Amino acid sequence: MLVFFTRRILLFFPTLLLVSFISFFIIQLQPGSFTDRYLEDPRFSPEAVERLTAQLGLDRPAIEQYGRWVWGIVTRLDFGFSFFANRPVSTMIGERLAWTVVIAVVTLGFAWLVAVPLGIYTALKRNGFTDAVASFVGYVGLAVPDFLVALLLVALVLAYGGTNVGGLFSPRFIGEPWTWAKLVDLLNHLWIPVLAIGTAGIATIMRQMRANLLDVLHADYVRTARAKGVSERNVINRHAVRTAINPLVSMAGLQLPELINGTIIASIVLNLPTIGPLLYDSLLAKDQYVAMTLLLFASLLLMIGNLLADLALAWVDPRIRYG
Amino acid sequence: MHRSRGTTLLALALALALSISSIAAAQTKTVGYPGLGLEPGTPGGTLTLALGDSPPRFFYYGEISQPIQLLSQQMFDSLVEYDLETYDLIPALAESWDVSDDGTVYTFNLRQGVTWHDGEPFTADDVVFTYEQIITNPEARAGDAAQFTYTVDGETRQVTFEALDEHTVRMTLPAPSPVFLLQQRFFIMPKHALLPFSVEGGAEPAEINDAWPTSVSPSTVVGTGPFRLSAYVPGQLVRLERNENYWKADEAGTPLPYFERLEFLIVQGTEAQTAQFLAGNIDQLNISGAQFPDFKSRELAGAGFSVIESPALFGSPPHLAFNFNAADSDLAELFSNAEFRRAMEFAVDRERVIDDVYNGLAELPGTPTAPVNAAFYEDTTGLFNMYDLSAAAAALDALGLVDTNNNGVRNISATRELEFTLTYGNDSAVFTDIATIIQNDFAEIGVRVNLQGIQASQLLGTGLSGDYEAIVVALGNLPDPELRKPIWQPGGSLYYWHRATQPASPGESPNFDAMEPWEVRIWEIFDANSTEMDADVRAERYREWQRLNAEYAPVIMIAKPGNVAAVYDTVDNFVYSLGVIPGYNPVPFYFRR
Repeated sequence: MLVFFTRRILLFFPTLLLVSFISFFIIQLQPGSFTDRYLEDPRFSPEAVERLTAQLGLDRPAIEQYGRWVWGIVTRLDFGFSFFANRPVSTMIGERLAWTVVIAVVTLGFAWLVAVPLGIYTALKRNGFTDAVASFVGYVGLAVPDFLVALLLVALVLAYGGTNVGGLFSPRFIGEPWTWAKLVDLLNHLWIPVLAIGTAGIATIMRQMRANLLDVLHADYVRTARAKGVSERNVINRHAVRTAINPLVSMAGLQLPELINGTIIASIVLNLPTIGPLLYDSLLAKDQYVAMTLLLFASLLLMIGNLLADLALAWVDPRIRYG
Repeated sequence: MHRSRGTTLLALALALALSISSIAAAQTKTVGYPGLGLEPGTPGGTLTLALGDSPPRFFYYGEISQPIQLLSQQMFDSLVEYDLETYDLIPALAESWDVSDDGTVYTFNLRQGVTWHDGEPFTADDVVFTYEQIITNPEARAGDAAQFTYTVDGETRQVTFEALDEHTVRMTLPAPSPVFLLQQRFFIMPKHALLPFSVEGGAEPAEINDAWPTSVSPSTVVGTGPFRLSAYVPGQLVRLERNENYWKADEAGTPLPYFERLEFLIVQGTEAQTAQFLAGNIDQLNISGAQFPDFKSRELAGAGFSVIESPALFGSPPHLAFNFNAADSDLAELFSNAEFRRAMEFAVDRERVIDDVYNGLAELPGTPTAPVNAAFYEDTTGLFNMYDLSAAAAALDALGLVDTNNNGVRNISATRELEFTLTYGNDSAVFTDIATIIQNDFAEIGVRVNLQGIQASQLLGTGLSGDYEAIVVALGNLPDPELRKPIWQPGGSLYYWHRATQPASPGESPNFDAMEPWEVRIWEIFDANSTEMDADVRAERYREWQRLNAEYAPVIMIAKPGNVAAVYDTVDNFVYSLGVIPGYNPVPFYFRR
């Protein structure tokens, strides 16, 4: 187990290096320069363009820019600085990490809590009315992009005279100390992103759970359990569901990078102070070190997610542990 | 409205006490704009506005950025500012000024008793520091060193700044400049707070950009402006609080600003901002003509807000440009021909753009001076080739551009179709619509246009790189054409449609050999007007320039969009903001009805 774990961790490094190299050169291929956005300002004279380009190190060859950046990470854990904000990238990510994690955890938690029981239920009542309704809603949720759901929810709230149309708080609570009223205000805003981003997840997980369980329900050992006289409830919970949920655990691992790049457009539409919009802006503006660090971060999360999923799988499934 | 006598007396006494204390504290300036319908207001309350993006920092000269400019406008003052009604320059931190007869020495008498938000006195040292250590520091990312560097007889010379005493500043110019005062709308910064970041304080020149990052403690960001920084919540909100020692008061003696708090809700994107406005979380929103029908119908349905339109002095009118130096030599030759450009002008449907794209909230453009700019505008609309497809077709026929292979597209030669790419900003609804209208109309006269969408923020950069054939760009109008010389003077650094006129290396004289005779004349007009002090002579020359532009159509001006704002009726004294223009700030006059 330890060997397996160490080997996986060691594999992280070459993968990350490759990811950073590719993302850097894709960003370089984008036409235009970071300084283009300022050209229209009367203050931005040709001399100013030159000075800024030199200040940012953009006058150096691309390969040198990349080398310096990687060297900074390896030697000092320095992920570079944002051209735009003139400060270390790590502080910019740190500023938004907390809310990103909170929203992602709540959303994923919501999706799983709804989807797994629903998947079990629809598998047991296959082809019933509830199954049809849940499947229909599931397919619609899967087909409609999350940002559109977000926009529709916002339009709905507006139509009913609500004021919670984006962000996480009403303006008067932002930056104020925590109170019950503020918590209520947060919940009043939070349900929109949770619902909008969670819907697509619900459909995927529910359908997966349903299909897995249907497979398992016809397996020999389930029939055996029933024949032994195990109660129906125990057959489902202890024998069938436990096996059927395995593939979902690996799926959960893959959802970790969604923290950053899964919900960018919905986060922009809903004006959430999360990392997604930061990545979007930095890519558009060619703020290269921010963009690369975030892409690197996303791939690291993917790998960690995979590793955790494998470990969790070993924990829930004795066949893997002893296999 | 009925009010009991007791409260009236109390309010009066309070107002009196406040005004006395503020007069004692500063040389208060009484301001009122009865001509604009502004009336004395009542203090208190919160105003919430939208900020389109998180501010990258709080230091105005550290980054060219709309959010910083919007915030700085409320936290800082400049020596002079715009009169809200006439757009004349009026005293701000400078109480008065004298200009020497030869126009090279400006002496500013500063307002006395003004204090920074932390209580330190504002003095001439702050002004000299701001100009000498920040604005003219070439490493300051949003400084303006070029503006204070003059070339006299081939020699580069700088404007000098000196503090004569605590309240007097003298600026000496190497040569007279008609727009020098117009440029003194730079925000003045506190020397005591920023000294450590300056060369004078022992820092490297580029370290000035490190001042006031967003992680700084709000109380250290000090200005003299109507509001001071109180809190910043990343990605969510910037909160400002009233500066109780501000140096302006209304005609009733009530110190300005009225609002206790000014909040900027950080909301990215038009849709999200619209939703926040309609939900009542934002009190005022600047909108575009494209959004007008939706807002107007809600206004008429009693949504409690008004949609206000005003002609724009600043702002960016869109134009269509053909690349005189296109990589394709056939196209380059055609695009350099004024007769071709004038022929294509017949196929640019300005009226339709104004009606359909801007919903009527735009007017025929100047070439390029804004029609509302009374000092310089020349009405050249009579010289326009207004929309007439048959005239366009006839003019192209006359140029020998006919369809020789009967495929519906005119030919430049037997093997070459009249076909080119039109670059536009596809993240802007306005640009997308204009490009589509042009494409359709050009197709009608047998000219094939392929659209290429890029980010609007990359348009000018693409223009300057020369990597385009035709392009739709919107460029700034400023009050004086001199301020936009790099765009409109042939050979200027932003004269992107004819780059062959640009000097071999920056700072050298332009390539006159590449210029058309009318371009040489325009160059002369701008060159002469840079140092001409006689306002009438300048205006006459600039009018000639606008006529030349209309006649030779270096670019085809399309429309001049107006300013449109939506504001809730609970906000009184609303004057439509020109936008983020330093030295123009009506917010201190707003109050809660």
